[in-house]
Amino acid sequence: MSFISASGVKYAYEDSDKLALKGITLKVNKGEFVALLGHNGCGKSTMAKTLNALLTPSEGVIYVDGMDTSDEEVTYEIRRNVGLVLQNPDNQLVASIIEEDVAFGPENLGVEPAEIRRRVDNALKAVDMYEYRTHAPHKLSGGQKQRVAIAGILAMEPSCIVFDEPTAMLDPNGREEVMRTIKTLKEKGITIVLITHYMEEAVLADRVIVMDEGEILIQGEPEKVFSQVNLLKKHALDVPQATELAYKLIGAGLRFSKMPLNTDECVSLLEEALG
Amino acid sequence: MIRDVALGQYMPGKGIVHKADPRLKILILIAFIVLIFCSFNFIALGVVSAAVAVVIALSDIPVKYYFKSLKVIIFIVIITSIINMFYGTGEPIFRFWILKITMSGIIRAIFVTVRIILLILISSCLTFTTSPTDLTDAIERLMKPLKIFRVKVHEIAMMMTIALRFVPTLLEETDKIMSAQKARGADMESGGLIKKVKAMTPILIPLFVSAFRRAYDLAMAMECRCYQGGDGRTRMKSLHLQKHDVYCIIFAAVVLAGVVVCDVFIAPAI
Repeated sequence: MSFISASGVKYAYEDSDKLALKGITLKVNKGEFVALLGHNGCGKSTMAKTLNALLTPSEGVIYVDGMDTSDEEVTYEIRRNVGLVLQNPDNQLVASIIEEDVAFGPENLGVEPAEIRRRVDNALKAVDMYEYRTHAPHKLSGGQKQRVAIAGILAMEPSCIVFDEPTAMLDPNGREEVMRTIKTLKEKGITIVLITHYMEEAVLADRVIVMDEGEILIQGEPEKVFSQVNLLKKHALDVPQATELAYKLIGAGLRFSKMPLNTDECVSLLEEALG
Repeated sequence: MIRDVALGQYMPGKGIVHKADPRLKILILIAFIVLIFCSFNFIALGVVSAAVAVVIALSDIPVKYYFKSLKVIIFIVIITSIINMFYGTGEPIFRFWILKITMSGIIRAIFVTVRIILLILISSCLTFTTSPTDLTDAIERLMKPLKIFRVKVHEIAMMMTIALRFVPTLLEETDKIMSAQKARGADMESGGLIKKVKAMTPILIPLFVSAFRRAYDLAMAMECRCYQGGDGRTRMKSLHLQKHDVYCIIFAAVVLAGVVVCDVFIAPAI
């Protein structure tokens, strides 16, 4: 059975009669890296909040590791197991000292002090922030703060982390730091759901799910999804720059054996196409 | 600009005052405050002053920071000591209109001045040598017995922690909003007091809106990290009394005994 399985999930916010999610069915396997794409207001953040029981679906069910998210008895077990990293790094940090902030999650779970210490050290090492453990968060850069926020989630030892646009408020350096961290987490076997609107980040995923107006528009491997340039453009979504270039060149009569997703691929495919 | 307030700023260090248990430090501070106000003659006051001087010398903090924190209250000291001078009884030394200065008034003024200065010095010493997190932590642990009176000790401590965490963030934000409003032509420097206060409105409103948004985000982030209030919560750092804490207790006890002895055996000066 898949780690997360949602079927027919509908959700409407209290102050609106419009459905934010209109019957989403999706599966995420253990150890998989899934990117959830879509422009603002398409319901992707709402979807993220349903995955760790912050919101429970108005209709439909979501199972996380076999637990129903609408069962209040397992809410905290689900939240421990599926961590959620939010957009603004400033608003996620609770304590004035980094290691104490990272300890916040395990402290809430009632973990033994010595075990908390071990987890905090491991989590900070995993995001490469160990030497900053006694610093104050407001003196760090955006990318560093976001990595501390990730460490705070990691200290709960979840098997899946959902990232809700973690790089949206960061500068290019910070964005790269966070993406590198996400990649190392994936290598450690943690299931990743990355919500983003940067196509360059989405191409790193094993699978891309594109959402539009509370529905899934298309899903599959990045090559497959981004080759549908027409469909994505019709819904005002971007494709990676390399794909866009290839698409235009194909329109101009050039032939590509497949759609490139990044600069390197594009260069070698161009060399091949131009013979 | 708003950031360099010396009063209540933590400075890392390795001295005995830094290392001492924060709970103990708070208790000793309270004891010192009581002693400062219970020294009724010059010798008792001298004992307390000497004790405060010893603490400051051991605190591993440059003396100029203590002067900085005294600078903030210099006006209060001057005004209270002047007022106190006129409150004495007995033979006037100096008379002006209905005001008269007496010997007991002068003594009273000296006592008040010394007391306020000692108070500021010793409490600055606590905030200089104890990190805000340690302080709130210690307050939470010291107030634990109040739980039987249904005081929400954990919640109060959590609120203090979060408030302290967001002070620098909100200060930074205020600076940003001020620059943004200045860029739009807001005038915050000219005019009288009322005009200046009115000019703060376009800064306070965005600041409040953003603070509420942050609070909402933070609440969600805390829920994501399984926060369920104080019940069943553990702490990473546990506090245990150590050898140097015993020295602190002995020191405080000696000072306490000294002041009591002086108060009992020497006639009060005020």
